[in-house]
Amino acid sequence: MTTSITYDDKSVRRFMIASIAWGIIGMLAGVFIATQLSFWQMNGKFLETLTGGWIKGDGISFLTFGRLRPLHTNAVIFAFVGNMMFAGIYYSTQRLCKARMASDLLSNIHFYAWQLIIVAAAITLPAGLTRGKEYAELIWPINICVVLVWVVFAVNFFWTLAKRNEPSLYVALWFYIATIITVAMLYIVNHLSLPTSFTHSYPIFGGLQDGLVQWWYGHNAVAFFLTTPILGIMYYFLPKAANRPVYSYRLSIVHFWSLVFIYIWAGPHHLLNTALPHWLQYLGMLFSLMLWAPSWGGMLNGLLTLRGAWDKLRTDPVIKFLAAGVTFYGMATFEGPLMAITKVNALSHYTDWTVGHVHSGALGWNGMMAAGMFYWLAPRLWKTQLWSKPLANMHFWIATIGILIYIAALWCAGIMQGLMLSEIMPSGTTLRYEFLDTLKEIQVFFIARAFGGFLYLCGFVMLAVNIWKTARSGVAVEETVEVTLLEKKQKDGMGFCAAILNDPIAHVILAMGFVLLWFFLPPHANIAALLVAVLLGFKAVSAFRASNGAWTNWHERILENYLPFTVLVFAAVAIGGSVQIIPTIIVNRGKNIEGRLQELYTPLELAGRDIYVSEGCYNCHSQMIRTLVPEVMRYGRPGVADDWSHLGESIYDHPYQWGSKRTGPDLAHEGGPIAKKPDGTLYSSMRVGKRGNDWHFYHFLDPRDKSPGSNMPSYWFLFEKETDVKALPGKIKAQVALGVPYPVMTDADITDRVETQAQDIAKSLVEAGAYFPKKPQLQGDSLRNHLVKSQGVALIAYVQKLGAYKNVKKAQPAEPSSLNPDSHR
Amino acid sequence: MSQEPKRGHFAKAKGEIILREHEFDGIQEYDQKLPNWWLFTFYAAIVWFVCHWALYYQAGVMQTPQQFIVQEITKIQQAKDAEVAKLVAELTDAKFVHGWAKDPERVAAGEGTFLTICAQCHAADLSAKGPNGPLPGLPLNDHKWKFGGKPMDIFKLVMYGSPPESTGNNGAKMQAWGQTQLSPKQVAEVVSYLITKLPEDFKDIPPP
Repeated sequence: MTTSITYDDKSVRRFMIASIAWGIIGMLAGVFIATQLSFWQMNGKFLETLTGGWIKGDGISFLTFGRLRPLHTNAVIFAFVGNMMFAGIYYSTQRLCKARMASDLLSNIHFYAWQLIIVAAAITLPAGLTRGKEYAELIWPINICVVLVWVVFAVNFFWTLAKRNEPSLYVALWFYIATIITVAMLYIVNHLSLPTSFTHSYPIFGGLQDGLVQWWYGHNAVAFFLTTPILGIMYYFLPKAANRPVYSYRLSIVHFWSLVFIYIWAGPHHLLNTALPHWLQYLGMLFSLMLWAPSWGGMLNGLLTLRGAWDKLRTDPVIKFLAAGVTFYGMATFEGPLMAITKVNALSHYTDWTVGHVHSGALGWNGMMAAGMFYWLAPRLWKTQLWSKPLANMHFWIATIGILIYIAALWCAGIMQGLMLSEIMPSGTTLRYEFLDTLKEIQVFFIARAFGGFLYLCGFVMLAVNIWKTARSGVAVEETVEVTLLEKKQKDGMGFCAAILNDPIAHVILAMGFVLLWFFLPPHANIAALLVAVLLGFKAVSAFRASNGAWTNWHERILENYLPFTVLVFAAVAIGGSVQIIPTIIVNRGKNIEGRLQELYTPLELAGRDIYVSEGCYNCHSQMIRTLVPEVMRYGRPGVADDWSHLGESIYDHPYQWGSKRTGPDLAHEGGPIAKKPDGTLYSSMRVGKRGNDWHFYHFLDPRDKSPGSNMPSYWFLFEKETDVKALPGKIKAQVALGVPYPVMTDADITDRVETQAQDIAKSLVEAGAYFPKKPQLQGDSLRNHLVKSQGVALIAYVQKLGAYKNVKKAQPAEPSSLNPDSHR
Repeated sequence: MSQEPKRGHFAKAKGEIILREHEFDGIQEYDQKLPNWWLFTFYAAIVWFVCHWALYYQAGVMQTPQQFIVQEITKIQQAKDAEVAKLVAELTDAKFVHGWAKDPERVAAGEGTFLTICAQCHAADLSAKGPNGPLPGLPLNDHKWKFGGKPMDIFKLVMYGSPPESTGNNGAKMQAWGQTQLSPKQVAEVVSYLITKLPEDFKDIPPP
């Protein structure tokens, strides 16, 4: 029985236009913050010149790098690539299922709610409302909306699968399924938080656990938000555009399953050489190396599909963009495993090399694939010709050149800075360069990078013009096709038992189980487990050969049953995270602290910490002295041979603040002990670390006053804003609920402690002759009374506390525990 | 697009084999065997995993980074102590004033270090005053030396920072520059530079 179906192409058009619009905004934000790295005036001072002095100030809070960088990353990930992904998925899923999207209402809700979320993000992030975790900055009410919209999307998608008129699922759909369920899992777990107000919350994980969950999420946001959906899009649009069959179906199968299974395990490579337990570091590095081939499987299937169509590269801009996108994907997925090697990571991590790497993915893979897809879609969605091929070609070349300048500049910057930071004087006892020296040295590359990014943005504006003109030259159409309706029994006829209780699955589960035992069992037993796992591997191969096609048939059949298939995908992606995160949650808290236990923050310090998080200081400053000799020489304290950051030093940090990039120096041990009063007695809580309170005061007012050449924004406005002391009792209650062992304090106790410590700090500033240039009339007591309440003083209190811990006992190996493989070493 | 040749026909005409029967929205799929080199990289990475984990992690043929650092930093500290001991053995107050401080090269090097590091808190003119008010450090040009005014006292102060019992200047203490960023020689150069800037304070030290 046939019927005619009209596809919902209106949603595709909407998502596409939104993607282009947000893309321009996100990239513009990127170029803007790139200039901030070279010119500190771009943090707000430039407005003074532009408006002829009408707007005053060395920096404007909502224009500072720390607040705008999250806006840039969120805009390009969730707004640009997100909308692009939805456009691609809506277009291809309908055609691959021969069915209209299941519900127009859900499609509408999906589109409008997603845009509203982005608008909310664009307002809250510059306002300093953030959770302080990268790519997971949005505050909790928005998180809930994101989850709800994602569920709407998922329901709409799976419902369409259920209504499909095509018995089997095409490879693009496998990748979409993996995307939808994995992103949901990652997003929910990494956003679990305890709210303290409508706009603020603490993540439920702290310290190491938070870091592990964060990068399990962060790395796999790259995997399942920026990679798998785009691979699905590649599998649909590339063979369409090239008019050639996909290169290899079995390569699709092998690389799909290996990719979704292995990717999840690689997250800890963002925490190499840190306090992260060794077994997790090894897993992170080794799974990243194993990820290389599965990633390249996707690239091969893309590029080899073009065999026989390479001549189109000359004439068809779509093929140009898709081929370049896939090539950049191959390059980035080769570079990734390379950077995940512990020794390479020692050089590359915390430098601009990482930033360059992620942009070869974002600009090269995501951006080029998006452009290719849009140029292919526009003429079809508006039933016309592309307005200008030459303009599209121009876009291609300007974008390619832009990317190349961008990545090359950041390779130079990252490698150079990494080498300079670890360069030791010939005497072997001191480092050659100050941090600031290295920053000044790479300025030329920062400017080249901003230029490269600007070129890319220009190219994208050309795309916008081209698509706009194309749309104007045609009329919006909804494609209508004749399809043969499937009978019920032709799809989804397999029961869960038949789908899951069978030989292939049994072999995989058994082998996997023994591999896990190999990781976790004590010595000798683990080798036995490994041997069994290897034997099972061989047995599986021989069983596959002997099965006479039964295993293959099983896979073919499961592709005709979307629910069991989805369950298997979920199992594959859930294993890695569970194995890494659950033992860490059970074992590490309080036990595995390497002999150092973090001192609790005083209420004022906690307030200061929230300001640190809110201003996005973690975007440029790490709090993690890695286990590397030059790092301990640079940031460790004299006379302490083991002064890397130990696990216990950040165990109560919600969120953890280890950072991922150093545009400024590490701050892990910036603080110090409780200071002495002039009479030799101790202050109640005021601490002084490497530098005095007044140093920090002047440095926040104008970083260049203390560090000439610094590109840090001026934070004078922190001394104008008042600390939110009223919120502290609620925040401390939340911390207690999360397991931070605060003693019982009444609200009055909290206010008193804040007052005492703030008074001590403000007094020390006034006595040191502090001078607040914005309000020169404030002197002596009036200045002190002004400073006491300021956010700046709370932030100074926090900075002076960084790295405070008590020695619990001499570090000794943890007791052997099967959930902590390190304890067996 | 009806005039386009059917992809399957095109593929068969070219002798490309195993074209799967089913089409998805016109997309066909070959079923080529996996490239050998690709399989090899995959298998090699898996074998690498097993070997690396078994050798480096489980058998522990290498030190942990933590053990390595303690060993290296201890070595560096010993080398540094030896460097200081050697310099201290050959330096005296008199040698500072009448030897090092008269050597223009050393004084120039000391000036460079002073301006990049020390001037942040003590000011280039040693007054510890900046354009907006006092700086975190103590003034050096007031002829008062809180921790001893002999060149060797100053050397030790820059080398090891304020003594532990010091209450600091509003809590702020001087860092142990000679233990962190500066070599003992650089510290001695800075001291020599100070001597040339403050001849008054050191005029009583007789030649050796």
